[in-house]
Amino acid sequence: MERTGIQQSRPTGGQRARFNVLRWSVYAAALLVVIAWAFILLDGNSGFGDLFRERTWQNAGGFIASLAGQGSDGPSPFVQAARWRDTGRLALNTLAMSILAMGIAGAGALVLLMPGARNVSDGTLGGAPSRTGALVYGAVRILYTLTRAIPELVWAMLIVFFLSPGIIPGALALGIHNLGIVGRLTSEVVENLDPAPARALRAAGASSPKVLLYGVFPQALPMFLTFLMYRWEVVIRTTVVVGFLNAGGLGREFRLRMSWFHYEDVALLLVWYLLLVIAVDILSAQLRRRVRWD
Amino acid sequence: MSFRRLQSWLTGPRLLTLGIVCALAWSLSRVDWQQPIAHTGGGAAALKVLLALFPPDLTPEFLSICVVASWHTLAYAVAGMSLAVALGLPLGILASGVLAVSSDGHNPRRWTLMVAVRFLLAAMRSVHELVWALLFVAAVGLSPMAAILAMAIPYAGILGRIYAEQLQVAPPEPIAALRTTGASPLRVLLYGYIPMALPDLLSYTFYRLECGIRAAAIMSFVGIDGIGFQIELSLADLLFRQVWTLLIFLVVLVVAVDWWSSRVRRSMAY
Amino acid sequence: MSAVRPVRTGEQVATPEPLITIKSAAKVYGNNRGLSPLNLAIHAGERVALVGPSGSGKTTLLRLLAGALVPDEGPNSVSINGKSPANLKPGRELASLVGIVSQRFDLVPHLPVMHNVLAGRLGHWSLARSILSLVWPMERRAAQQALARVGIADKINERPGRLSGGEQQRVAIARMMMQSPLVVLADEPVASLDPARAEEGMALLVGLVHSDLGHANGDGRSSERALIASLHTASLIRRHFTRVVGLRDSRVHFDLPAGELDDAVLDELYDLGDGYGDVEPLAGLAARDG
Repeated sequence: MERTGIQQSRPTGGQRARFNVLRWSVYAAALLVVIAWAFILLDGNSGFGDLFRERTWQNAGGFIASLAGQGSDGPSPFVQAARWRDTGRLALNTLAMSILAMGIAGAGALVLLMPGARNVSDGTLGGAPSRTGALVYGAVRILYTLTRAIPELVWAMLIVFFLSPGIIPGALALGIHNLGIVGRLTSEVVENLDPAPARALRAAGASSPKVLLYGVFPQALPMFLTFLMYRWEVVIRTTVVVGFLNAGGLGREFRLRMSWFHYEDVALLLVWYLLLVIAVDILSAQLRRRVRWD
Repeated sequence: MSFRRLQSWLTGPRLLTLGIVCALAWSLSRVDWQQPIAHTGGGAAALKVLLALFPPDLTPEFLSICVVASWHTLAYAVAGMSLAVALGLPLGILASGVLAVSSDGHNPRRWTLMVAVRFLLAAMRSVHELVWALLFVAAVGLSPMAAILAMAIPYAGILGRIYAEQLQVAPPEPIAALRTTGASPLRVLLYGYIPMALPDLLSYTFYRLECGIRAAAIMSFVGIDGIGFQIELSLADLLFRQVWTLLIFLVVLVVAVDWWSSRVRRSMAY
Repeated sequence: MSAVRPVRTGEQVATPEPLITIKSAAKVYGNNRGLSPLNLAIHAGERVALVGPSGSGKTTLLRLLAGALVPDEGPNSVSINGKSPANLKPGRELASLVGIVSQRFDLVPHLPVMHNVLAGRLGHWSLARSILSLVWPMERRAAQQALARVGIADKINERPGRLSGGEQQRVAIARMMMQSPLVVLADEPVASLDPARAEEGMALLVGLVHSDLGHANGDGRSSERALIASLHTASLIRRHFTRVVGLRDSRVHFDLPAGELDDAVLDELYDLGDGYGDVEPLAGLAARDG
């Protein structure tokens, strides 16, 4: 059922059908929005009414004030070099976790890049179509769907069950989830490649692995790295969340300080978090610009 | 001389590869290799979890829990996304700068506003939705509304940024033609930019809905009902067969939304 | 038209064994005739231009020669140097027999020019060598020489996407030098170039088979080679080719020494291509030869 590309591109009668898909989807989405909000608001405990109570805003103001250090006893962690050093170490662990996660996702996607692309498995890019190729293609696609559909945090919940706390389980959870995302995007890039250069290499006597190496990898690699960088920006934000589950780094500390009501420490951790996010955003933008090499 | 040769050899892709290898090596050096990677008995536990898939818990009572949890997740996702669109669209329009330009040049006040909104959007999407949720819970207490707001803020930040980019790439000729008729920036927006960018705007919103489902699922972490919450409960009770059932529900929900969103996007691909 | 008469070029009459023999090879796609049964013999050293309106069978003929299509009569009805290209698996043997330069040159966009040129050697290299070469280029000097011969030695580290059409064609020709096949096939190699670039490109292409200048590894086989190219420009054909074969309605319409081709012959070929009438005798006449 994946092989219906030719039928889909047939223009006859498509205009009307396309229009209806769009129109009904918009209607359905609007209806879904109304039902969802009705369901949430009609439940007495939605908290919607609280938005208009002064108490709520007073509480929020009090929380922000305590983040800023109001009402805490002892010197602020912001003026203690030791606290900066300790939390800085956690921030570096978080950064390392994000890089390892990208390494896991990247290595996996790179290995599965070829079998996961339809035009490689069916021989369009040179090479012979084979039953094994089709089977492996299907398996890789199912793997991508599963890893992508289950969020990082759920992966982490499962993984901390077997692995001891530290940055490895967090990196693994993030890596598995992002493997599905990066892998699918990259396979789509390979599937949209112009097959002519690969066929020309085939005609020059290159065997299938050589065609992939010279004709497919160099073309897919820039987009692959770009996706990886984009995902890194998301992953650095999520490492903290995965860290909530005893997976090390800033997240674990954040959760602990939160439950101890050490809001000033929470503020310090948030500063590190934001510094990491900004640094990775800038680095990723710079690297992405470098990757555009033609 | 040899340094120069090295410098000329070490460009572009090679430099990038070297950088990636160094980054990975550094990250591995931060792992605490003293302690064992897996728990004692971790392998046996993994096997037990895996075997629980055959079969997952399919009792009617539990399936009805799963259906309710799936509906909660979907409802929170839809509510969060709709709020994100309601916040993100106006912010995106302001951030795109299309209102700051009119036939008689830049409007400096609106230009300042544009820059400010861009910073605001960046700040909103800097913090993960669950971190927002924890902060909200600490500030105003646990409620579905807090979770929806926590989800809507970073999503509005992402949507606003992408909406702004999509408005900016609208073809300039029709816009210029509208301007020559003396239309105000707001009219140019309503009659020019938005109609031209609408397919892209819709397409991206539908694309994000799938991510919204996952975000709603993990909102359980602050105690909101949904698939993630049920997974957490079942894991705590070591009921792995239930975990599998819930995972299947989650995958089916995500795949269904993904299928719908790709249908919509394909229908607008022309 | 009195100019239309089947003639074989004089130069190679003495050569006993043709390099390429096509014996009543035909190709039918569904209801469409790609190529009617066709006979053709081409000797080493010949440079044959294929002319004809689109759909006349030029591309089909080239693909049969490249082994990309199997003739309806079986693979053996096309033979190059005693081998049938359709019988050979893609690989070293086929690559040293025939090579193709396409209209779009088919370079790998993100791969530096150096590796695109070296890709001509992939059929000869082991997999390990191919992998290693991406990190530390093998036969770098040969690639440099090939690029110098086509006049773009300075582009060795560029990416094909940044090159002009003429430069891309030169890279494709340099790759063909590295591949060094007995028969070079070119499908409208200059169609996307302006007249000045087309002239230069054609000269380089001819150099692949005509003189020693063409070959990077200088194996002295240049006099054993042949070039077959499809194109439309009479002046280019007269200057660079020894023989011209006109195809129309998937049949050989004329077969002349290139020097005898004039615009009138070409006009007639293309004009007749619109009708369906009085062409059979001419085609029959041409097909008898060979």
